[in-house]
Amino acid sequence: MAENYVVEMLNITKVFPGIVANDNITLQLRRGEIHALLGENGAGKSTLMSVLFGLYQPEGGEIHMDGKRVEIRDPNDANALHIGMVHQHFKLVECFTVLDNIILGVEPNKLGFLQKKEARKKVVALSEKYGLLVDLDALVEDITVGMQQRTEILKMLYRENEILIFDEPTAVLTPQEIGELMQIMKNLAAEGKSILFITHKLNEIMEVCDRCSVLRKGKYIGTVDIAGTTKEELSRMMVGRDVKFAVDKAPAQPGETVLKVSGLTVPSKVHHNNAVKDVSFEVRRGEIVCIAGIDGNGQTEFVYALSGLEKASAGKIELCGRDVTHSSIRQRSKAGMSHIPEDRHKHGLVLDFPLEDNLVLQRYMEPRFQKGGFIQREPIRAYAEEMIGKFDIRSGQGPVTPVRSMSGGNQQKAIIAREIDLNADLLVAVQPTRGLDVGAIEYIHSQIVQQRDLGKAVLLVSLELDEVMNLSDRILVMYEGEIVGELDPKQTTVEELGLYMAGAKRNVGRKEGAAS
Amino acid sequence: MTFLLQQTVIYTVPLILVALAGVFAERSGIINLALEGIMIIGAFVGAWFVRAMQEGGWNENAAQWLLILTLLITAAAGALFSLLLSFSAVKMKADQTIGGTALNLLAPALVLFMVNIVFQQNTLNLRYDAPSWFMLFQTDFGFERKAKLGLIGDLLLNKTYLTTYLGLLIYVVLAIILYKTRFGLRLRACGEHPQAADSVGINVYRMRYLGTSISGALAGMGGFIYTLTTSNGAANGDVAGFGFLALAVMIFGNWKPLNIAIVGFLFGLLKCVSASSGTLDINGDGVYLLAQIGVSTYVYNMLPYVITLVVLAFTSKKSRAPKAEGIPYDKGQR
Amino acid sequence: MKKERTLWNDGTKTVAASLLSILMGVVFGGVLLLVVALCLHMPLSSAWEGFRIVLAGVFNTGRNYDAGSALTFGINARLVGDMLFRATPLIMTGLSVALAYKTGLFNIGAPGQYLMGTAMAIIVALSLDTTVIPAFLVWLLAFLAAIAAGALWGCIPGAFKAYLNVNEVITSIMTNWIAANLVTLLFDGSQFINNVDFGKTGYTLKTSTNGVATAKMGLDFGGGNANAGFLIAIVFAVVTYVVINKTTFGYELRSCGSNKNAAKYAGMNEKRNIVLSMAIAGGLSAAGAALYFLQGDVEFYWHTSMTLPATGFNGIPVALLASCSPIGCVFSGMFMAYLTISGSQLSTFTAYNEYIANIIIAVIVYLSAFTLFFKGLMDARKKAPKGGDKAAAEPAGRGTKKP
Repeated sequence: MAENYVVEMLNITKVFPGIVANDNITLQLRRGEIHALLGENGAGKSTLMSVLFGLYQPEGGEIHMDGKRVEIRDPNDANALHIGMVHQHFKLVECFTVLDNIILGVEPNKLGFLQKKEARKKVVALSEKYGLLVDLDALVEDITVGMQQRTEILKMLYRENEILIFDEPTAVLTPQEIGELMQIMKNLAAEGKSILFITHKLNEIMEVCDRCSVLRKGKYIGTVDIAGTTKEELSRMMVGRDVKFAVDKAPAQPGETVLKVSGLTVPSKVHHNNAVKDVSFEVRRGEIVCIAGIDGNGQTEFVYALSGLEKASAGKIELCGRDVTHSSIRQRSKAGMSHIPEDRHKHGLVLDFPLEDNLVLQRYMEPRFQKGGFIQREPIRAYAEEMIGKFDIRSGQGPVTPVRSMSGGNQQKAIIAREIDLNADLLVAVQPTRGLDVGAIEYIHSQIVQQRDLGKAVLLVSLELDEVMNLSDRILVMYEGEIVGELDPKQTTVEELGLYMAGAKRNVGRKEGAAS
Repeated sequence: MTFLLQQTVIYTVPLILVALAGVFAERSGIINLALEGIMIIGAFVGAWFVRAMQEGGWNENAAQWLLILTLLITAAAGALFSLLLSFSAVKMKADQTIGGTALNLLAPALVLFMVNIVFQQNTLNLRYDAPSWFMLFQTDFGFERKAKLGLIGDLLLNKTYLTTYLGLLIYVVLAIILYKTRFGLRLRACGEHPQAADSVGINVYRMRYLGTSISGALAGMGGFIYTLTTSNGAANGDVAGFGFLALAVMIFGNWKPLNIAIVGFLFGLLKCVSASSGTLDINGDGVYLLAQIGVSTYVYNMLPYVITLVVLAFTSKKSRAPKAEGIPYDKGQR
Repeated sequence: MKKERTLWNDGTKTVAASLLSILMGVVFGGVLLLVVALCLHMPLSSAWEGFRIVLAGVFNTGRNYDAGSALTFGINARLVGDMLFRATPLIMTGLSVALAYKTGLFNIGAPGQYLMGTAMAIIVALSLDTTVIPAFLVWLLAFLAAIAAGALWGCIPGAFKAYLNVNEVITSIMTNWIAANLVTLLFDGSQFINNVDFGKTGYTLKTSTNGVATAKMGLDFGGGNANAGFLIAIVFAVVTYVVINKTTFGYELRSCGSNKNAAKYAGMNEKRNIVLSMAIAGGLSAAGAALYFLQGDVEFYWHTSMTLPATGFNGIPVALLASCSPIGCVFSGMFMAYLTISGSQLSTFTAYNEYIANIIIAVIVYLSAFTLFFKGLMDARKKAPKGGDKAAAEPAGRGTKKP
């Protein structure tokens, strides 16, 4: 063997019922490097890391450490081999203190009784060494996401892990926190730790990584040195073709105002602050307005208040000139609002129902679908057949297919079909392409543009910069619950948008709030 | 007054012990609705064992040792019975509410079936009654029969049962274990965030089996202590909803041992008042105050449940129920 | 047709799973009889006799003392009638639990609702003067009053669940025991207690003492207890089936049950639906109580402060065995009644006692929780994660999480 790798995953194959999540993948990690694992949603990154961490057993392939073959059957084995992982969704017990979370599983004890003093000393030393500022006695539920992540990192360091896996660590962080994390990762690598960094964000890879391995649809594409590559090349490797960034669409021709939001304020469920603060804007016929922002900046709460799922504490929502601030969800729907929800499993679908019942979820009480309170099965079936044809929804058994058994893309298509067919004046689409493959994304984008061209007002909420830049006619940037910028996608760049999203820049709202 | 306090303590000890049983199961992530059923089993096994020993010629002078032995036996019986729940909840990932309900149906049926067929009667009584064998008097502690011990002394040392003290001791020890030991920390983690516990190498299934077994042991003991101290150790497949009352205590006490002890004392007092409101002379001045107020005993009986409902109404937002309780943990899904 | 096949398959699976639980429960009962016989040195033939009665208790016609006291079997009209009569409240509490379950709620409060229904039915039936108001009208008023009381009792956990997000199991347990004491309080020292027959102080008067009794409507069964109540229960089952499966209201209830969040998102008033569902469930349980006690010839042991009625809890196995299908509840209710009759025949004719029936029922409940697990396993296989859609593998919207 030419080179000594600290970890080698050789020809790993992991099969789930119906899908090969990892197909003969090889990954080699050098000591002291930051190695990116790049791929789209569903490319198999998380599965591969779960195999390394002992959460899944692969059907094929072997794992070597320092040249020797190892078996990793569970996280204990991984831990014994000094492999640690920061999961995408933190594995922290919310009502425990930071210190308790760090020592959980490897508690120093005498006769079973916890000895927290020595643990505290060790953690304090580690946090000083790597600049990981945490409050050891705070409850996890009371601290910021950034500090939670530092807690996760300290958990690994406390266990003296040498191989650190970061699974999409920046998705939940503010830009400042991302910057800090990047610095921490560099420090860790400088101390000789080897880091696997799972992400689909090219900028971050270019900034901190030494090498990058790319996966696509469960297959290994290749490994490149970052120093000798470009973002464009990486993105080609990731999606398998030159990314078609532009969506075909004519210039917008905005008409009358459909949605007018003024001074909307929504209290947070998580902290004592307001999640949405004094938000005002308008959406007109024939335009796509996009609310951009990093996850967790109040977009979800805003949409809940707009659609009626939550109550706003102040402000006004006008739909087609009608005040709907205090209207029920159904009244809003009847007044002309349709809503493609962020979470299709939580809100969008009744998974145990057949497709046809899901397609009439808001309309079952219309005269064509019921008589005197009795459901009319025949018209519903006919309607479902019509929608299936019109929107190309693929399902095993047509209208009676249980939605649970359908693929994510087709589930989303069903929701889009339902919402578009409501023929509402305003279409609210929240992350409509999350977790879907490229084909489905293109289809959904074209449907949204078509709605705009038919004279509907479209409000898009998205976390994907590409989607924001390509689909929208107007961009509103939301940061910490406020609209901090209004941008024209034709005259702005991704970089500038990023600055607004990071709160580093603003062009609307109060001036004193702007970051220095 | 002494009588009231003493009776209250007698009710309180099994109540908080069984409530703590609920805590150990729920903190590990298993909702244990079967507390009532497990108590019934504990009471039955305890009564049967004591009776058998008494008939087998156990020396009355060593009665306290028999009591300790019986506690161990009932704990084992309770733990064993609770395995039915943990098996269904952990291994089969079945609905814990249904599992608990099944055990609550099974326990009295099993006990009544056995009592009827083995002893040809509806109630299994001890061979020699509980007070004469097991009750401790001040003379047992070396005081003269006529000696005045004062309120506290009388309360603690006269006409008491060893199980009361053992129960309190077990309660304190287990509460400490829950908060101060490695085991306790891990158990609580499994009830709050089993994925997190699993990711640091804690065997969630094992912790849930353990938590439920401890729960079963405590409830089994609690069932025996309850019948021994309140109904002469007789087992008839019924503990009069005491297990459910313990559940109410646990919820009102917000799954925390100290709160549970306080709530348990309050509910124990109500239970005691309801049991003896007609004959209770609180101050010893010959005035039967409670009887004169004329509130029905059923009102006192009802009060703990009403209070718990009201408390639930006002504190539902602040509830500290273990977050992952009732949700089967599946290693494959994360 | 593809569709019919899948439905048939699913239906077959459901029935098969229920039958399997029953089979295992009965086998467990048989083994228990055998073990007891061995341990207590009873002749093995007694275990065999016991097992035969467990299997066919309703068709037991006693012993033939001329032929060596052998058990005799045949059509026993009286017992069949008794079975139908006992099935009546079980079907109703089963419907109650099943309907709530469809809305994602576990109605463990059926015993309390049943008790409230019992009390109201008896009090109204005994209070109103049948010389002034026609007896059938009193019957109807008592029946409706019982339903109202049960509905009210069901509303409490429903409202706690809907507006405060408190687990309905917890509140139902509280309301059960409140009902147990409240009912005792209502009857304690009241005019409804039977003081006529010496030594029967624990019981209420029969409603027939006031001339109130359910019509027989031809269901005579050799003077057995059967009456039109059984037919009314069947009507309730059919209506419940239609409401759940064929109406927009039922569609809303099922939506709330399957995915509360989606129901809310779609503009349904999920809070109102939860309260309504529990109210109807409460009404059904209470109606079951009314149908049982308004028969006219049954006494109610009113000193309930220490125990809850088994009929209420047995609604849970009835519903589970029927996989929460309303029509299925009719059959599972009859099966449970069948077991109960077998139990009492067992006490009468063998050394065993009626509690074996309760044991078998408990075992069946225990196993029926596994049935759900097995069915869930089949569903899980169907919803295998497709192309990177990770969220699909996560359980969606658990309806019954504690606050």
